[in-house]
Amino acid sequence: MVTVIKSEHRPSYREALNAMHRHRKQVFVDFLKWDVPVVDGQYEIDQFDTEAAVYLMAIDPRTQSHLGSVRLLPSTGPHLLRDLFPHLCAESVPVAADIWEITRLCTAPKAAEPKRVLEQLATAVMEFGLLYGVKQFTCVAHLAWLNQILAAGWECEPLGLPQIIDGEHVGAVVIKVSTQSLQILRERLKFTQPLLRIPEVSKAA
Amino acid sequence: MSQFHDVQAFVRAANKASNLPDLKNLIADVILELGFDQFAFMHHVTGANVPEHVIRLSNYPEYWIEAVVERGYFFDDPVHVACQRSSAGFVWSDLSNIINLTDRQFHILEEWHRQGLGEGFTVPVHIPGETIGSCSMCVRTSSRFPDASLPAAHYVASFAFEAARRIVRSSLSISANHSSLTQLTGRQLDCLVLVGRGKSDWDISRLLGISDQTVHQHVETAKKRYGVATRTQLVVRALFESQVTFSDLFD
Repeated sequence: MVTVIKSEHRPSYREALNAMHRHRKQVFVDFLKWDVPVVDGQYEIDQFDTEAAVYLMAIDPRTQSHLGSVRLLPSTGPHLLRDLFPHLCAESVPVAADIWEITRLCTAPKAAEPKRVLEQLATAVMEFGLLYGVKQFTCVAHLAWLNQILAAGWECEPLGLPQIIDGEHVGAVVIKVSTQSLQILRERLKFTQPLLRIPEVSKAA
Repeated sequence: MSQFHDVQAFVRAANKASNLPDLKNLIADVILELGFDQFAFMHHVTGANVPEHVIRLSNYPEYWIEAVVERGYFFDDPVHVACQRSSAGFVWSDLSNIINLTDRQFHILEEWHRQGLGEGFTVPVHIPGETIGSCSMCVRTSSRFPDASLPAAHYVASFAFEAARRIVRSSLSISANHSSLTQLTGRQLDCLVLVGRGKSDWDISRLLGISDQTVHQHVETAKKRYGVATRTQLVVRALFESQVTFSDLFD
């Protein structure tokens, strides 16, 4: 089960979102050594964690804790590819109402089945795309992960040639959203039901 | 055409390729455009008798593939060892910075030179649940090494390897109606791994402490569950559904 958390849902998910930022710090800063901002010494939050950001989060049904998540940003607003890495595109950065960016895909460090959580998130991203009318996702990926991203079943094409950024080989790719892609993901990853859950908007502030 | 457009055209064609020979030709063409002469994109599996769906795409001379892969140079092959240590692509002249080269490995590198292989670039492929693979591209000793093509080469490697995996998977005809996870019992998996290692039912019965009729039963049940006719098909199917890994079978 993967929950869509848009700005209007956030009041109901404060704990889980805090846990997400803590886990992002553990994964991206402590483990992967990325040079990204840390708040209060424990939360990884950057300038793209705005009201426009949508988080898809795998939540443990028993404990309500964060198991894994991914951040989606509309390409029509601030996002990594346009604002930080436009040189990764051979042509202009793709911007349109139906193009979103995938960032900060991660699993909780102590998750029991991280591979399964990643598979859920990879499939949920495709479900989100189809439900919300997204035609393409862009993504800035470290090349060391590219084969795993491709193996997950996303249909990818490069947007430019990879470059070395902060000592790492990084490239921009575009992922096509299609019902065929979702079907392939479901068959390959053995999902027989939809994963995405859209919560009701809480009346309380 | 810029290098990016070469890569983009290659990726689109590779995504449409429906068989390995076509994919191999596409790879051979694009690496020539990028300034390389030879390539080997493969799973790191040794020996001559491997399941036919292990990926081995190469235009290295036949006698070299035979020596490297089948005569077991592979166990010590410095590129193979470096792939286990590295997730990033590397050039062969950098090997001594990635691993401590043994005498035997120096000998192997000299052998390559004698065979006419010059500088090369290798992209390791690490996919959880599968044996390590690698994509290597090199020039003959007389040719100039295309340093400026390495980023493009990296993309060719990654996209080509995934295209190969896709083709192999679809050739196993996993049908659209296969909706339930094929669950094998622990014992069936134990037998399957030993079948994959080439053990007879009798050997397996001794190793697992059960009767050889029981072993036969486990293997037959596993074959039925996967809907395959032969033991080889069973092993290949289980590998690609990540029930077992190549390293379970080919340590």
